[in-house]
Amino acid sequence: MSFNKKLFLIFSLTFIIIIFFIFLFIFFQYTDYSQEQIDINEKTSDISKPKFSINGKKQKISVTANEGNFLTEDEIILEKNVIFKSNKFKIYTDNVIFNKKTLVASSQNKSKFISNNTSIDSAGFDIIENGNIIYFKGKTKLILK
Amino acid sequence: MIKYLIFFLLVLTNYKYALCRNIGETEITTEDGIEVFQEEKYYLLKKNVEIISDEFELKGNLVKIYFEQDLYDIKELIASTNVNFYSNEYNIKGKGDTLKFNIQNEIINISGDKSELFLEETKMYSDGYINVNNLAGSFKIEGLNSKLISDNVFIIGSKINGVFDDKNGNRDISSLEVEDENLLSIITEDTELFSKKAFYDKEKSIIELFDNVKIKRGSEVITGDYGILDTNKNSYKVSSNNSNKVKAIISNTK
Repeated sequence: MSFNKKLFLIFSLTFIIIIFFIFLFIFFQYTDYSQEQIDINEKTSDISKPKFSINGKKQKISVTANEGNFLTEDEIILEKNVIFKSNKFKIYTDNVIFNKKTLVASSQNKSKFISNNTSIDSAGFDIIENGNIIYFKGKTKLILK
Repeated sequence: MIKYLIFFLLVLTNYKYALCRNIGETEITTEDGIEVFQEEKYYLLKKNVEIISDEFELKGNLVKIYFEQDLYDIKELIASTNVNFYSNEYNIKGKGDTLKFNIQNEIINISGDKSELFLEETKMYSDGYINVNNLAGSFKIEGLNSKLISDNVFIIGSKINGVFDDKNGNRDISSLEVEDENLLSIITEDTELFSKKAFYDKEKSIIELFDNVKIKRGSEVITGDYGILDTNKNSYKVSSNNSNKVKAIISNTK
């Protein structure tokens, strides 16, 4: 009987370990760690709490972040708590490159889109044509309520 | 100790269900992202798309969804490349190259080679298209290799139009119109019917055949210009525009 108990415990622990590894595998599968991180050598940011807007034909998207740094004359990297907000949606992420000449915003980081009865989780996004087209990149999950 | 282990095992084995969508929600997953066109009011779902809702499940490689005001407000869905769908709610399943689903008007259109649509006990196949209008209670099958199987009746024709009536939640075919330039065929348990055009009326229990009519039953073959089969009495009559033209062949199979 005690042998059976031992056997049962060993079997249960092995099973738990297998399930744990499956859980880890699924977790890492849905977490994209291949995202590019752009290193900024300077510790201080060029712009603190940048705030601007993208004016589309029918909507205005306001953009806010905690930090902003110039990559080139036209490109700004927005970091930490980056929010794109229009009257229809909000997009949250942590790292966005914005081209002020072409008005294209691009992120390779995990992003969350929230709108009326809708949420989108993606591995990044591009906002083009003054906000008319939003391309959510990579493995994406859309929930409609 | 064992109780805790069992509890822990239960939690581990069921965690996936806890992460699933809630009732009433539609979950859409893609491998290559979603493109939202806000002015044009549609979004494109790319690569290995899976849509799961309470009413239906759909798989395809590229899905375009038109919406009214917001993304959730779906008007029409167009799925292409290896489309597979299933609806428990409407008792319908199908597959094909392209699927168009007009949600407001409840119209489903499947097109492309080897299209299939199973509506309760009725099976529809075509290399052209299959169209079902749920609100109007009608369907159309058109193109090469179009066929319909229902109640042990096998129908082949290049054009099959039908109407079904809803009795106690079951859809039954009430009328059919079949056409084929190269002869259609209607095969029942004991009779084979051929012609260029045919009408079926469930209420009157008749199948009418027009042009190049041929009825085969056992060793009996009768040809003419017009034929009528009483499905209740299982009797038939063939006539011709030219009174001399009706031809009957009764061969001895023994």
